[in-house]
Amino acid sequence: MTPAVKAPAPVRKDPRRLLLAAPLRSVAALGAVVALAIVISPRAADGSCIFLEPGNLTDILRQISIIGIISLAMTCVILTGGIDLSVGSILALSTSLVAMFLTRMWQNAGYAVHIAGAIAAAAAAAAAVGMLNGLVIANLRIQPFIVTLASMIGIRGLAKWLTGNANIDIGFGQDVAARFADVFRQKTIVIGAYAALAAAFWLTLSRTIFGRYVRAIGDNEKAARYAGLPIRSTKIWVYALSGLLAGIAGVLYAAENHQGNPNAGVAYELDAIAAVVIGGARLSGGAGSIAGTLVGTLIMGILTNMLRLKNVDSNVEMMIKAVIIVLAVTVQEKRNGQ
Amino acid sequence: MPDLLKAEQISKHYGGAAALRNAWFSLRAGEVHALMGENGAGKSTLARILAGAARPDSGAIFIHGERVQWNTPLDAQRAGVAMISQELDLFPSLSIGENLVIGNLCFGPKSFVGARRIEEFCRPYLDQVGLKRPAAAALAQLSVGEMQLVAIARALSLNARVILMDEPTSSLFEDAVERLFRLIKRLKSSGVAVAFVSHKMDEIFRICDRVTVLRDGETVGVRDIGAASPREIIRMMAGRDVNVSRKSDRAPGPVLLQARNLSTRKLKQVCFELRRGEVLGVAGLVGSGRSELGAALFGLDRITGGELRLNGRPFRPRSPHDAIRQGVGLLPEDRKLQGLMMQMSALENSSIGALSRMRRFGFVRHAEERRQVAPLWARLNLKCGAPSLPVAALSGGNQQKALLARWLLLSPDVLFLDDPARGIDVSAKEDIYGIIDELARQGKGVILVSSELPELLRCSDRILVLNNGRLSAAFDAASAAQEAILAAATSEAAS
Amino acid sequence: MRAGAACICACLAAASCGPSGSRPAGGKRLYFVAFSQANNAEPYRAAQNEQMTRLFARYPDVRLVISDAQQDNSKQVAQVETFIRQKPDLLIVAPNERAALTAVMGQAMAAGIPVICLERDILQPNYTTYVHSDNRKIGRMAGQFIVDYLTRRYGRPAGNVVEIRGLLGVEGEINRSAGAREVLNRHPDIKIVADPVADWIQAKAKDRMTEVLRAQPKIDIVYGHNDPMAVGAYLAAKELGREKEMAFIGVDGLGGPAGGIKKVMDGILSATFVYPLCVDKTVEIANRMLREPGFKPEKEYAIESILVTPQNAAELYQRFTTPGER
Repeated sequence: MTPAVKAPAPVRKDPRRLLLAAPLRSVAALGAVVALAIVISPRAADGSCIFLEPGNLTDILRQISIIGIISLAMTCVILTGGIDLSVGSILALSTSLVAMFLTRMWQNAGYAVHIAGAIAAAAAAAAAVGMLNGLVIANLRIQPFIVTLASMIGIRGLAKWLTGNANIDIGFGQDVAARFADVFRQKTIVIGAYAALAAAFWLTLSRTIFGRYVRAIGDNEKAARYAGLPIRSTKIWVYALSGLLAGIAGVLYAAENHQGNPNAGVAYELDAIAAVVIGGARLSGGAGSIAGTLVGTLIMGILTNMLRLKNVDSNVEMMIKAVIIVLAVTVQEKRNGQ
Repeated sequence: MPDLLKAEQISKHYGGAAALRNAWFSLRAGEVHALMGENGAGKSTLARILAGAARPDSGAIFIHGERVQWNTPLDAQRAGVAMISQELDLFPSLSIGENLVIGNLCFGPKSFVGARRIEEFCRPYLDQVGLKRPAAAALAQLSVGEMQLVAIARALSLNARVILMDEPTSSLFEDAVERLFRLIKRLKSSGVAVAFVSHKMDEIFRICDRVTVLRDGETVGVRDIGAASPREIIRMMAGRDVNVSRKSDRAPGPVLLQARNLSTRKLKQVCFELRRGEVLGVAGLVGSGRSELGAALFGLDRITGGELRLNGRPFRPRSPHDAIRQGVGLLPEDRKLQGLMMQMSALENSSIGALSRMRRFGFVRHAEERRQVAPLWARLNLKCGAPSLPVAALSGGNQQKALLARWLLLSPDVLFLDDPARGIDVSAKEDIYGIIDELARQGKGVILVSSELPELLRCSDRILVLNNGRLSAAFDAASAAQEAILAAATSEAAS
Repeated sequence: MRAGAACICACLAAASCGPSGSRPAGGKRLYFVAFSQANNAEPYRAAQNEQMTRLFARYPDVRLVISDAQQDNSKQVAQVETFIRQKPDLLIVAPNERAALTAVMGQAMAAGIPVICLERDILQPNYTTYVHSDNRKIGRMAGQFIVDYLTRRYGRPAGNVVEIRGLLGVEGEINRSAGAREVLNRHPDIKIVADPVADWIQAKAKDRMTEVLRAQPKIDIVYGHNDPMAVGAYLAAKELGREKEMAFIGVDGLGGPAGGIKKVMDGILSATFVYPLCVDKTVEIANRMLREPGFKPEKEYAIESILVTPQNAAELYQRFTTPGER
């Protein structure tokens, strides 16, 4: 039965080049940005490069952590061909809730229990919002853009209503709220949380069945349906995770800023989407990776730091960022389109 | 007299690989000329270059002996060259009329584009191709075959002197093919040249005057049809002789799937039985309900009447997931839109349905994945240079095999194959016919939909004929004649 | 792609031209003063920036850099962190919100950088000195003005007051409100019928006021915590034809054609309170801190405010408007 002729070799690009291209491209871009930052960095009095100071480098990592955490789950959402515009509002809800629980409730609980409980409550609420988003998107078949846009508006209103549109200050004394802030604003905790979550998400997307389903749905939802994949439950989980990570980011935000702020996180969703897109993901779904998003987040963070060290006007900073985003996407499309 | 269209020493590289190395082609006025070759030989690339959709890296194109340089397909259109591509390049969200009229240089002043003007303009061309739909109908409502007719109508509306067709009949049934060939003959007598990329040997011998064969990006030779034989052409395409698979002796077993008065949106009270170890062919015109039968069995269309029984028990699938769980699978008609995840690798595409069998704590066990998929690929003769490349990089035949491997892995009792060999080169087709035979021998029930009667007659044990959603006739494959099947597919009495 | 990369490099190189750090220029020492401003978009703060730049320009050995946090706490924290890396000789911070900026200003102190906290305070005294005006006093003055106005109008201290509030959680906002209420609470017939929040922004105040106007049939006086918000309220009332029904008072009293004093002169505002920019005092203290190593500033400097009414508006306009602005 086997024909005497072997199947013709595909007349396409050299396979090895394609395989190496994706990760190398991202790392090359990152390398270029770092090199540029070192070259134009101001010098300290003793001639050392301020950019490379360990304090500055860890500053950068800390400054990107909150958006970075949100971007991890946003990668999954975008991979399914969806989008989550509500993450900024969920972050606001989470900061407000954790500050409220720490300053106004359970005043007699032991510190560790109180802090754990407040964090759990805030994260659970955030995940619940995400799950609600997912349920509506998966079951009612409304476009994610619209559902999460509605969520963005509604949850912001909820946060403002719960707090009376006022900030909830976390003091600097010895009470449980201040202890919480002391612990969770430390660079090591924040960067550690980001690193741990990044590792977890990388593993999930690249090695688990859930990760395959996420990519398959974004790549071709119709084909995923025809293959019998659990589309609804995958989507619900993806949005729930997005909410959860926004919640975790919110907890860290409250510690860093010493306050629960219902007006926090405005436009954070756009920064997260920018990081994911610069990292190579396509908004139509199916393409993207955690590694790419990490690189995208780092590039944006280093760029911002580089410009601030040179005291570039923050409006010029935003214009340069816009150019970078368009450039990055153009490069991706050029390479993919060939 | 110089040729109407001539291409010399065309080469084209994509990235590091050569799609065309040294291709040449000539076309005389009033000629029907076939372009043949296996997948990956470069036929589509050459056709795209001739239509101005791609620029050659080297070589020249001549119209009436004068050298031309085209930058866009619009330049080619103005020179009188129109192309109907394999992917059709239509806009699903627009209507039929809008598809004909968009960017059409022959459609007069563009300021007022009312529905009536569009209908007036489009009607003659739609009638020419035999499409009875109104111009205002949405393209998305049409089946694949009907969409092809729209694509051909568009080319005709551009009043081209050269029409290039890339596999135009791959989803048309006999009568539509007949109509197309009559059309081509009319065009021929008016001096239009038609170049015809195709896999189908019998069609080429029916209508073409000459055939040019490509292999591995080079033109191997050109022959007059009268002086050539199919075997010779296959040898030119493949480089050597190709074995043809034979249907083995099979005895069908007990009844596996029963349909009684099955009705859906399109189907009307269809009754049939499928036995274990049997291949049931399904014939019918485009739009007769063949794919809809699969949709009903696979949980995609709601069953509005009648019942299905699987292994004696009532079977009412609510979704593909449900159908798969109960042992029914479907290989869809359009592998790119409905089957494959183009950005994922071939391996991932093959394993995606059965990941629960290669898991540990939610993680995919990669070694196990390769171990389970490799033997299926071997059976299908799927040779993939780098298994982790996106499946979009493979040839059409290999893509179809990767998709088929998914179903072999899931191994459902009933497998519905919707035109599995469409648009695939000769040796891959043989591989797939072999697999169909094997599946039947293993005791599965296979339902095979195809637009090519010879294929149905070869592979099936029995053939059902659908006509306008109804079951019009059923034949034994061994004793059936093409004319009888065609008559049952087109008769008015059945509707 | 290469063209794009070259473009970016050129932009960055151009943007980065200029001296950096404290390298001596022609043998003399160059002082680097960093000023982290909370929000350039507010007219009050824009005036602060302008005056700070003008005053420091008199000292050629001082390099002043101003950053704009655009009312975003995280941004301001990051900007201050970056300033700390550059080791300025003096850091001036106008904090966006109290809690958020407290810790990072402590970091600056810990790094040995002297810090001046400008106009708004923070939760802990993480600064070398705090230059501000007494917002509580201003609030009391406003409250008293309201009482006097209502008494003149109705013969007794009674009436409906709308209070338009700035960014909640900011010291100025808290005290301007508390000070006024301290006075108003002594007169039970004076009711605050609405107190919407408009974040110091004129457009937001206009929207909030429109909502209040629809809900309240009678309003006697509108107390905006800053002039732009009071003006926004006036515009809202004007659109609905009710501007003659009530009086409008604000706080800031900036000079120049766009400032609050001019609005009093034009009859839009009945009164405003000059809220000193605090910049002249800041620059004075800053210079001493830079040049006199032994100088120890007070922990706090409070600057006085002035009530602006149609009677003294013209004279105050002359006083507070710089020649270039007239």
